Amino acid sequence: MLRFTLERLIGMVITMALVSVMVFLIMEIPPGDYADRYAFRKYSGTGVNVTEADIQAIRADLGLDKPMMLRYFDWIGGIVLRGDFGQAFAFETSVVKVIGDKGWLTLGILFATLLVTYLVSIPVGIFAAVRRASAMDYGLTIFSYLGLALPNFLLALVLLYFANRWFGADIGGLFSDQYADAPWSLAKVWDMIKHLWLPAVVLAWSAVAYQIQTVRATMSDELNKLSVTVARARGVPETKLLIKYPARLAINPIVSTIGFDVNRIFSELPIVAVVLGLTELGELLLRAYLDLDMYVAGAILLLLTFTIVFMNFVSDLLLAWLDPRIKLGA
Amino acid sequence: MLKVENLSISFQTDEGMITPVQNVSFAVQAGRTLGIVGESGSGKSVSTKALMKLLPGNSRVSDEARMTYTDKAGREVRIDQLRPKGRDIRRLRGGEIGMIFQEPMASFSPVYTIGNQMIEAIRLHQKVTKKEARAQAIAMLDKVGISNPVGRVDQYPHEMSGGMRQRAMIALALAARPALLIADEPTTALDVTIQAQVLELMADLQRDLGMGMIFITHDLGVIAQVAQDVAVMYLGTIVESGPTADVIRNPRHPYTQGLLKAIPSLDALHDRLSPVPGDIPSPNERPTGCPFHTRCSQRLQGLCDQQLPPTVPLGPNRSVACWLETPEHRTGAEVDAQQQIKQQEPAQ
Repeated sequence: MLRFTLERLIGMVITMALVSVMVFLIMEIPPGDYADRYAFRKYSGTGVNVTEADIQAIRADLGLDKPMMLRYFDWIGGIVLRGDFGQAFAFETSVVKVIGDKGWLTLGILFATLLVTYLVSIPVGIFAAVRRASAMDYGLTIFSYLGLALPNFLLALVLLYFANRWFGADIGGLFSDQYADAPWSLAKVWDMIKHLWLPAVVLAWSAVAYQIQTVRATMSDELNKLSVTVARARGVPETKLLIKYPARLAINPIVSTIGFDVNRIFSELPIVAVVLGLTELGELLLRAYLDLDMYVAGAILLLLTFTIVFMNFVSDLLLAWLDPRIKLGA
Repeated sequence: MLKVENLSISFQTDEGMITPVQNVSFAVQAGRTLGIVGESGSGKSVSTKALMKLLPGNSRVSDEARMTYTDKAGREVRIDQLRPKGRDIRRLRGGEIGMIFQEPMASFSPVYTIGNQMIEAIRLHQKVTKKEARAQAIAMLDKVGISNPVGRVDQYPHEMSGGMRQRAMIALALAARPALLIADEPTTALDVTIQAQVLELMADLQRDLGMGMIFITHDLGVIAQVAQDVAVMYLGTIVESGPTADVIRNPRHPYTQGLLKAIPSLDALHDRLSPVPGDIPSPNERPTGCPFHTRCSQRLQGLCDQQLPPTVPLGPNRSVACWLETPEHRTGAEVDAQQQIKQQEPAQ
């Protein structure tokens, strides 16, 4: 297991390095840079005549005049060595400060969504497979189609409406008003958890619907395996039997697609965030691109892609733990 | 130690109700082996699964069925009255009645070691520590002839060779020391050399552990090697049963006779084998009367295709279900047989 973990770890680091190069290139692609934008913002309408030399001076001031290679290594070196993601030009502060809480909140929503997805879909899928062709099973199938067919921003609106009616007005956003600008405290975390369930449910909805069917299908296959009958024939109690033998293999396709789920959640988050009034990174990313505020955009892209790469690493380790044939290279 | 009477099993399928086992009765004595022989679809596996309550949910065991098992402590257990998910049947499974299946690879879960699955079986039925259970598992692996059992116990099934997995599977079934072993075609998937080794091993183990055994196979040759008693099944009924040597030397049912003729013999290498003519009918097109009459060369028109033959006792533990063996047809049948021989003579 140690050797396997080490191999995957090295693989992850290499992937992240390549990803960082790609992210940097993407940052470079839009024409112009923040120096142009800055000069335009500062002097447009003032009657001041801006020369190419002035822009060059701003560029030198911001450190954008160095060759690309050098800037890449400055940038990535700062991140790796000092946790410094560079300057957020438009905000005139550091990227870390700009992203700060938003990054954590995005990750919070991500993990809450994953948790809801797996905590619901795995047990329910197993249950549906064990009680195949029962009324419960058919009911779940109908729910699954519904879950797949509904766009989740619509679901967000519907849930928002009902949550508002049943639980009071302050359900949008991630915090109640009194905590929104308060420093972090236990009470604030609790307040966040109370708000987190709504976006988590909205984002998990379609994944739950889909993954229930996945677990149900693989669990049904696994239940028919001879090894399950053999285990039953040596007197293993039914619940223990289901968990130890078929379920362990049935969740394999779920675990192997954790990375896809993370990716999907990041893609769907911005529109859900707009509907629910959440502060997260998607909106900031868009703004950073419009402002050519490249280090903010870069940091966000890097955070999202690193999360996906890291979750793939976690998924690999979990798969190897679930099925030892994987790490033995069989 | 085990007595099964009037066992019928039916399944509700999309094509309607089928009854793959009808009115089957047999008994197993401690230390002896009962061989159940028959073609695929004759109901031999289904009958033994009923003993372990391992049948799927769409199946039904008839109300008249009585399955009585005498456990290690000498108590009688009515298996037919146990709940399929209850504690009592779980006590029997593995601990009193062990079962081995045709495919060793598929019998093990691929994600746990051989030892893990054996220790699980041992600890379900005996109050021992993990360490003691592990020592027992290693001893059992040694007993079934696996070399280096201390190293093998922590291996996964896919790390073993086919023959070794077969032995490990037997060790798994015997881990919790059952008093009765049900072996469902355990050697069918093996080549003949390994098959001979495994049969020998099973006979040795049975002797050492004093187990009763039910050995299911489609191969009468295998039965001759391992079983003291035999029951021949055809389409869910037992057509002939008795001590193996007697049945093989003196088969009375036309189906048993056909099976024996279909075994290659060293004395008659030049002759073509004579298979039993025709195919086994599908379970939802069960013939009326004697189930074998559609393939029987000696059938009595108007009787065999109309009425189910009675089970005729032929001696202690020996019986046959055939109209030809009933007192009123016996003589006639013998005359018919002699006539057949006479007709064949001019041709030779």
